[in-house]
Amino acid sequence: MLKRPNPDWRRAIAEKNATINAFVYTKPPQANPNSEIRKSVSLNGPTDDAPLWGRGIAIKDNICTADMPTTCSSKMLRDFTSPFDATVVKLLREAGADILGKTNCDEFGMGSLNINSVHGPVINPLSVGAGADAGAEPRSAGGSSGGSAAAVAAGMCFGSLGTDTGGSIRLPASYCGVVGLKPSYGLLSRWGVVSFADSLDCVGVLAKNVQDAKAIFDVLNVYDDKDPTAVSDEIRKRADERTRERMSVWNRGSESLQGLRIGVPQEYFPSDMAPFILERVGHVISGLQALGAEVVPVSMPSTSYALSAYYVIASAEASSNMARYDGVEYGMQVRPPPGADMTKTARVYSHTRSGGFGREVQKRILLGTYALTADAYDNYFLQAQKVRQLVKDDFDKVFVVADQRGGRQSGEKDGGVDVLIHASAIRTAPNMRGDGGDVGLTTYVQDVLTVPASLAGVPAINAYGGIGDDGFPVGVSVVGQWGSEASVLRVCEIIASIV
Amino acid sequence: MLRFCRPRVCSLPLRRRFHNVREHIHDERWPGWQVIIGIETHAQIKSRQKLFSYALNTDLGKPPNTHVTVFDAAFPGTLPKLNNKCVDLAIRTALALQCNVQTRSSFDRKHYFYSDLPSGYQITQHYAPIALNGQLDVTSSNSIFPVRIKQLQLEQDTAKSTFHARTKTAQIDLNRTGVGLMEIVTEPDIRSPEEAGAYVRSLQALLRAVGASDGNMEQGSLRCDVNVSVNRVGQPPGTRCEIKNLNSVRFMMAAIIYEIHRQKAILELTPDPATATVPQETRGFDENTFETFRLRSKEDAPDYRYMPDPNLGVLVLSEERISNIFLNLPELPDETRARLKEQHGLSDHDIEVLQNIDSGHGVRFDGEEPRDEEGISNGAIAYFDQVCAGVGSLTQRTDGTPTEVTAPKARDPKVVMNWMTHELLGKLAARKESFKDNKLSAAQLGQLLDLIENKIITRSSSKLLLRHMLENPTLKSTLQVAQDLKLIALSHGSAHAPSNTEAGYSEQDPLEHLCEQAVAALPAEVESYCRGNVNVINRIVGRVMKDSRGRADAQNARNIIERLITKATQR
Repeated sequence: MLKRPNPDWRRAIAEKNATINAFVYTKPPQANPNSEIRKSVSLNGPTDDAPLWGRGIAIKDNICTADMPTTCSSKMLRDFTSPFDATVVKLLREAGADILGKTNCDEFGMGSLNINSVHGPVINPLSVGAGADAGAEPRSAGGSSGGSAAAVAAGMCFGSLGTDTGGSIRLPASYCGVVGLKPSYGLLSRWGVVSFADSLDCVGVLAKNVQDAKAIFDVLNVYDDKDPTAVSDEIRKRADERTRERMSVWNRGSESLQGLRIGVPQEYFPSDMAPFILERVGHVISGLQALGAEVVPVSMPSTSYALSAYYVIASAEASSNMARYDGVEYGMQVRPPPGADMTKTARVYSHTRSGGFGREVQKRILLGTYALTADAYDNYFLQAQKVRQLVKDDFDKVFVVADQRGGRQSGEKDGGVDVLIHASAIRTAPNMRGDGGDVGLTTYVQDVLTVPASLAGVPAINAYGGIGDDGFPVGVSVVGQWGSEASVLRVCEIIASIV
Repeated sequence: MLRFCRPRVCSLPLRRRFHNVREHIHDERWPGWQVIIGIETHAQIKSRQKLFSYALNTDLGKPPNTHVTVFDAAFPGTLPKLNNKCVDLAIRTALALQCNVQTRSSFDRKHYFYSDLPSGYQITQHYAPIALNGQLDVTSSNSIFPVRIKQLQLEQDTAKSTFHARTKTAQIDLNRTGVGLMEIVTEPDIRSPEEAGAYVRSLQALLRAVGASDGNMEQGSLRCDVNVSVNRVGQPPGTRCEIKNLNSVRFMMAAIIYEIHRQKAILELTPDPATATVPQETRGFDENTFETFRLRSKEDAPDYRYMPDPNLGVLVLSEERISNIFLNLPELPDETRARLKEQHGLSDHDIEVLQNIDSGHGVRFDGEEPRDEEGISNGAIAYFDQVCAGVGSLTQRTDGTPTEVTAPKARDPKVVMNWMTHELLGKLAARKESFKDNKLSAAQLGQLLDLIENKIITRSSSKLLLRHMLENPTLKSTLQVAQDLKLIALSHGSAHAPSNTEAGYSEQDPLEHLCEQAVAALPAEVESYCRGNVNVINRIVGRVMKDSRGRADAQNARNIIERLITKATQR
């Protein structure tokens, strides 16, 4: 049974999508999800007691759907429809969800502003239409899951799926003022999720509030045999049990957080962070403190190297994953013009690849290709892997519980924290024109606060942390040990109650 | 079976000094020159499914692009899933090659753009292969020499691309894409084209014996790249050239010979021998001209941008898994040879015949033992072993009637060998069949030998019986079939017992009766015999043989006829 009336997501899409550009493909409902007809027809399918019965969900366009195109916002796959559903999509369908359509994103997930898209940029819904100042500049929804975040913020769906490689869910969630969960690496299946950088890619959930995000996450949080990086049921269970044991200490009621230890990493306040962001995050932290939580300043010394390591690893893996787009088996094909150099296969493919990939993707392919060349491998790729391990160690050192996947340190330690809290971004949603544009390294710096959790594979959520001085939402990140989604989500819930 | 104690030849540091490992042997084709050869072999793993996908492996000749999953075609969003059957077969092979199987190994991506590689990279084991440091003792015609195995690694096969020169197009068949390969790399321990051939043949036999690969070069399930260098005797090794993609032993040996002469000519033409070097190259082999040709020089060598595969992680093997495979390792060709020689006293020639028959039987998928419907192993050597061991043994009761016994009686290996290679294979060949089509069980053949041995059937009947049983496969015992066909010998083994009155046999010995009839029917011949024309008795015997439809023992019949005639003349 539906607990709430079914909001008309499709009407919102029809009204707002032309301006916001969140959806790149919409699907009419198969049948009225609440009608008796659907119930009687779906003999083996989901019934109205299914956990997501009738909930409208939007899917990022780099997640495969058999009944809709999967373009990854790339010219390369503009006309591509996958022959299969991603496991996460299959799970949503089985849970009774109403798949509304596909959402805009940066090409293959590469970008932080959702401006690298063959479908055009996504406009932050908070910067247009009713509620926005007349004549105000349109702002970015953030990226790469910009369409998924904007769709939630604009009331076009109950929730959406995004992917997060270095912040691609948390950053747009922060800019759009919604909840964005990047789960622990290895929990949600990546089968059917178009790879950008396999060792970092996570499917995640965006929703208006923590409860909704959790409802979707619970449906997707199952082991999938098709994903070789899926973590076993045994380890999932162990991590969840350990988390709940710890939660029994502090999670006894909404009035008190006595026993909760919150770490505030000192390296997460870079100089170029807007002062009002610092102030809002401080407000959240003191609110939790007022409820009895203990605030512990912690140090994560490898943070400053994380961004460079992230870009080396992500680009290297991307250069490898993008190699398959050659126009032979599927996707766009540009035939070499008459007289073109056909002496090498690479020369023939170069026409398709130069024509099909956008600038940002080409840039990262070149960066990654260089990082993997025999001469550069030791100095770039191997170094980055070492830094990645140090970043991981930083997290293991501060958390009270151990990484149940078997990190370097095991057992519990005194003085460890349950969660870390820091700002999700150094600023609020940038203007579409001007300083927020695609100018050199400044776009990469947006990710400085989000990439460490990606490198470590730990869960991180963006929670709404209030309105900034410029009238746009400030995001607060809650980060926990691997597999501690329960406590991270709970802390977010409490934050929502105090903001 | 205890095989844990295979001796390791020598420790690693010593084994690296390759040019000291083997003494130079003079070769009159290139006197004063030493040839150093190393071989990289790619063997397709005989697994039911591919290395990282559930697509079935196909035989050649299947319609193109019919055994392909979305992963094989490198569709976006697909991920690899390691097939443990391939890992087990690689471990088997590695153990058979006396390698150290690594408890931790990993997979890497090797990048290059080519139409036979849909994902733009091949998954291989560049940084940490599954097995290292082994050895294969190669038996050639006149010697046994060790070849050290540097490493064995798992990797994916590529698609098959066929280039059409006229239309300038390539056609791609993805059936082969992602099939599991084992790359087996030797140290440079081989010293002549003939040794290279012997190494490949030994490796083929080993791969088939452990059930890991068909090892068939003609069909492409085994491919070789060969590294060749030459140097003047006593000098350090020369610069090597690699010859790619040789797909028969004959071509490989021809390519090596050509390459030796080519490199030797370059070195001899250089005025200063001290500075003479062969340019390092990758070369191909032209099967029409029997010459090698340059594919690319060292400067053009591609950078494969190896990267650890982020999806597959570390392949962790438990000691238990490795030792289980070790304990259940099938008998290796060398071991079989030694055992057949020791246990059954077979000659080298006989052993070679048996092993050759065995190599013809198809290797089963996933390392399953070749077995028939009843689960009986049906390789030629296993068959031979079973017949020798006495499966289906017959004995005679005191009254002379044959019966099956529960305790098998060993049979003479020479007789078994003779029957298997001459009679059985001969009759199969006459039917245009090979040993793997054989429907006669080891017990049935064994019983046939017992029936002859005990003179329960005659030799000529036995051949008739064998032909009949091959034509009409049956689960009945050979004895039963012989009885059904009324092939039981007349007067079996009893020239001295003329009146057998036991149940199942007539009052009068039927052979005696037939002989009497023949003597009576051929009075002219009897008279001629009495006059001293001894040879004429053959005609009388022939009559008996004909009347008995081969069931009579000719010698017995002769004895009886002689006795009858003597008796008659004495009267």
